[in-house]
Amino acid sequence: MDQIYIPKKRVDFTVGSYVAIRQLETTAEEEIKPFFYNIKHLEPIKTKIIKEIFKNLNEIIKCDNIIITGSFLEQGFRFNDIDIILVSEEKIDTKQIVSLLESKIGPKFHFILISNKALIKGLSTDPLYMLMLSKCVAKKRFIYRIKPQINYKLVDLHLLKSKLLIDNFDFLTGDEKYEMTRNFVAINQFISKKEVTKDKIDLAINNFFGNKTIHKLKNNLLLTKDFLKKYKKAYNNAQNRILKGIRDEPKQK
Amino acid sequence: MSQNRNKLIDLFIGNISNSAVHMILEKAIDEDNLRKHYDKEFSISLDIAKNYRKKINPKNTPFHGKEVKDIKNRIIKKVMAELNLRISKGYQNINLGLIGPTVNEILKKTKVV
Repeated sequence: MDQIYIPKKRVDFTVGSYVAIRQLETTAEEEIKPFFYNIKHLEPIKTKIIKEIFKNLNEIIKCDNIIITGSFLEQGFRFNDIDIILVSEEKIDTKQIVSLLESKIGPKFHFILISNKALIKGLSTDPLYMLMLSKCVAKKRFIYRIKPQINYKLVDLHLLKSKLLIDNFDFLTGDEKYEMTRNFVAINQFISKKEVTKDKIDLAINNFFGNKTIHKLKNNLLLTKDFLKKYKKAYNNAQNRILKGIRDEPKQK
Repeated sequence: MSQNRNKLIDLFIGNISNSAVHMILEKAIDEDNLRKHYDKEFSISLDIAKNYRKKINPKNTPFHGKEVKDIKNRIIKKVMAELNLRISKGYQNINLGLIGPTVNEILKKTKVV
């Protein structure tokens, strides 16, 4: 009879566990084929990083899906961190995963842990979820087009974030200004029952505030007066519509 | 210099108020709060307020009693106005009793009290 030796101090394989013995070189590694949603171009190095993330996460956790989203998927390398949504019904300690991934791969990570049910709910009621998932890379295929359902109280909460732009305009960075404007326009599109995707929101920003607004916002080149005048007016209109929606909401149910 | 300090305090108050309104409204939403799943976005007004706070003297110690009282009153007034606007339009479940404790909590977090 042949014998196999394994380390005495080990994480797995407790005494009495059943194990399968296989020759290492014949075990073909499962190829990772990510699903790309609304991504026209992605630098090859980023695709490599994504595959590396999926591979590493596969080894350490069990979850229903892994979705990568946010500024990492934009052209260029101006991202602060990599946003990852872990879809799982189980509780996962993301702090440990963050430090492990950061030491293995490099960039900073931000995790959002969410159940399948909450993800579906988010995709139907929350314009920020729609925006976030309108451009993403997923480990498994998922349905991201779900019939929108307006929850006005939730939308009101989101709109507050964009109010900061009015008071703090001169003190914000270009990226912050763009994010707040994008948030506001996404909400506006959502309550107007229009599609909320990153490209459509960007188009709407330029159409409403003027050509090249996004470029000017991001690079902090925008003149305050004209932009804020339009923004304030549109913000107040949106707020009134949302508050009217909250008032009428119980009647609709 | 003092004018600059006053401007920073105004901005600080605006952001703290926004953050407090956010926290109170969050509790008024009946169903499971979806927002907890992306807290990074959530605390943005508080983060901006903290940045202003870093520029206001005294930076690491609480403000003087009279100034604390004034700042607190101005925040409460702003929060009350925002919430009352919603109540007047038919928004239900808003607990105005949360204003005081919420503002106190944020002022402690930002080392004003």
